[in-house]
Amino acid sequence: MIDVVPPAFIFIFGALLLPFLRERRLRQLFQLLIPVIAFIDLLYMHNGTYWVYNFLGYDLILGRVDKLSMVFGYVFVIVAFLGMTYALHIREFGQHVAAFLYIGSTLGVTFAGDLFTLFVFWEIMAVSSVFLIWYRREKAALDAGFRYIMVHIFGGCVLLAGIIIHITNTGDTSFSVIEYGGLGSKLILIGFIINAAVPPFHAWLSDAYPEGTITGSVFLTAFTTKSAVYVLLRGFSGVEILIWLGAIMAIYGVVYAVLENDIRRLLAYHIISQVGYMVCGVGLGTEMAINGASAHAFSHILYKALLFMGMGAVIHVTGKRKMTELQGRGLYKKMPITLSLYMIGAFSISAVPLFNGFISKTMIVAAAGELHRPIIHLLLHLASIGTFLHTGLKLPYGTWFGKSNGETGIIEEELEAKEPPLNMLIAMAMAALLCIITGVYPKVLYDLLPFTVSYHPYTPQHVVSMMQLLLLTGAAFWLYIDKLGGEPTISVDTDWFYRKPGVFILWLCSHPLQDIRLRLQRAFTGMVTNVAGLSKNPVLIPEIIVRNIQLKIYTILYHNSEPPENKLKKIDEVKYKINVLKEISYNEHIYRRPIGAGVLLAIAFLFLYGLIYFIKIN
Amino acid sequence: MSKKLKYLFFICIGLSIVAGFFITHEHVHFWWEKIPAFDAIFGFLGCIIIVIVSKALGHSWIQKDEDYYD
Repeated sequence: MIDVVPPAFIFIFGALLLPFLRERRLRQLFQLLIPVIAFIDLLYMHNGTYWVYNFLGYDLILGRVDKLSMVFGYVFVIVAFLGMTYALHIREFGQHVAAFLYIGSTLGVTFAGDLFTLFVFWEIMAVSSVFLIWYRREKAALDAGFRYIMVHIFGGCVLLAGIIIHITNTGDTSFSVIEYGGLGSKLILIGFIINAAVPPFHAWLSDAYPEGTITGSVFLTAFTTKSAVYVLLRGFSGVEILIWLGAIMAIYGVVYAVLENDIRRLLAYHIISQVGYMVCGVGLGTEMAINGASAHAFSHILYKALLFMGMGAVIHVTGKRKMTELQGRGLYKKMPITLSLYMIGAFSISAVPLFNGFISKTMIVAAAGELHRPIIHLLLHLASIGTFLHTGLKLPYGTWFGKSNGETGIIEEELEAKEPPLNMLIAMAMAALLCIITGVYPKVLYDLLPFTVSYHPYTPQHVVSMMQLLLLTGAAFWLYIDKLGGEPTISVDTDWFYRKPGVFILWLCSHPLQDIRLRLQRAFTGMVTNVAGLSKNPVLIPEIIVRNIQLKIYTILYHNSEPPENKLKKIDEVKYKINVLKEISYNEHIYRRPIGAGVLLAIAFLFLYGLIYFIKIN
Repeated sequence: MSKKLKYLFFICIGLSIVAGFFITHEHVHFWWEKIPAFDAIFGFLGCIIIVIVSKALGHSWIQKDEDYYD
């Protein structure tokens, strides 16, 4: 039997070793090998608790293995392999190191059995992932990265505060079902839902993910939000508020997706929408809902990676990221393979039968039906329509087909483009294949789920109702086809609250506060310069002081009348003398007195001492 | 080609609606699930509502010029 190690450490070890592999081919091999090793490692892990370390009286549990953590572990490692294949052509090893750390810490979160371990990996996740945004090196990416990391640090602080309160109250560090009620549990929940991008804490996602590197964003889509779904499933299943937050989130993403012009930002809004289904599933909390949320996270990671890969490929070859720049420029002729693979992802997210979205999303919707929640049921249905409308119809139409902007009246030339590099295509093909396999043969996924699955996706009722929904959505799209093209605008979202006031705070710092700082500094440096000037020649201090007093007296005497001619001359003379005196530096040969300054000082002190003694005696 | 696709599309819509009358409904939780073409109507109207409401919200409030934050 092979000894298993925590899968998080495999990736973190990989991240540490990667910079030493100079040979390009060797490094590429290594990049693909690490996820494979991790996958084999997962195969050998059995249910139970492993790697418990005692630290300051608390048990740190690095390996809590059960079906829930395993299903997330599997999909994280699978998407790590896909993403690494997609990023294989990147020569900059820093990006791969960041990705490995990010994947490793996510796996750390997934298998963490106690709240401290969870928190540590949670923070590594935030810090390592921001580099996948910053490596694009454009100003927009740097700015978005800073906003991203600040939101996540805020979320981490809230989580830590919640964890500390929770542990102080219960004395229990283990991470299992957290009873929702007290302040600690609420803070932990807020920390979790910030990472799950639940409105109003969602704007970091649609802000930062489209600004990441082409290959880095593929990783970003998979890990942060889905690990948050995992911890919600673990800690807060059945919390009523999550049902509503999830359903609202599903619709919210759809509304913003209608308005979006940036192709990857549109997809990012659909992450929010899709994670809404999962959060809703967490809130419903029945066995079927938890199965549904886990299954949907699994499916979502695969098809969303595929969609981001497809749009990333478009940006990679054309350098353009807006629908207004892409539509009507004949891209479908140049990139047919990318288009086909993208469409598989689009059908998957839209829950077309035989694709993986169908077997997982409908499970959550059915769970809402089972609990007799009509409004939630309809809201989720409505979000399904929006999903197909944007990801399945509007986005591919606007990117590959479409008409160029009618307003300008200029028919734009066809874009210079070709298929992306082979490794990108292979990664997309593998992702597409997995989407179809799990869609056609759902048992492979259902067997991994935490509870026994009694749900059958392929009943005539499910298939027909889904086909009706999608086909008629298509018909309505056709009606509005001219109005749904991209518009050259951006949409304000809740990030407004820290972006616009942020400018004011920046102004506050750079003007009034900076002004105060400068004044204080000037006052202090003035003082220091004076003292320093005097210390240049301490022997002359009495004389300088006397001259200054003399000058002061003159200015007081004549402060409101013109001094007479001779006095004016005198004042100038004094001023001149002060300046001359200040310039003279100490030179012992000039100041050597007949009996030496030291003896004089000694006598002076002796005299002083005697005087005090004398007074004291009397 | 385009015309053929159009016809195919209409045939599919027709088939899916007709099929709605013949299937058995096993798990019915809400009254509307018994209406044969409910999902078709819901899909069509839902899509229109999403587009109109979102565009109205966008044009009146959410959408700004691209240099809004600069």
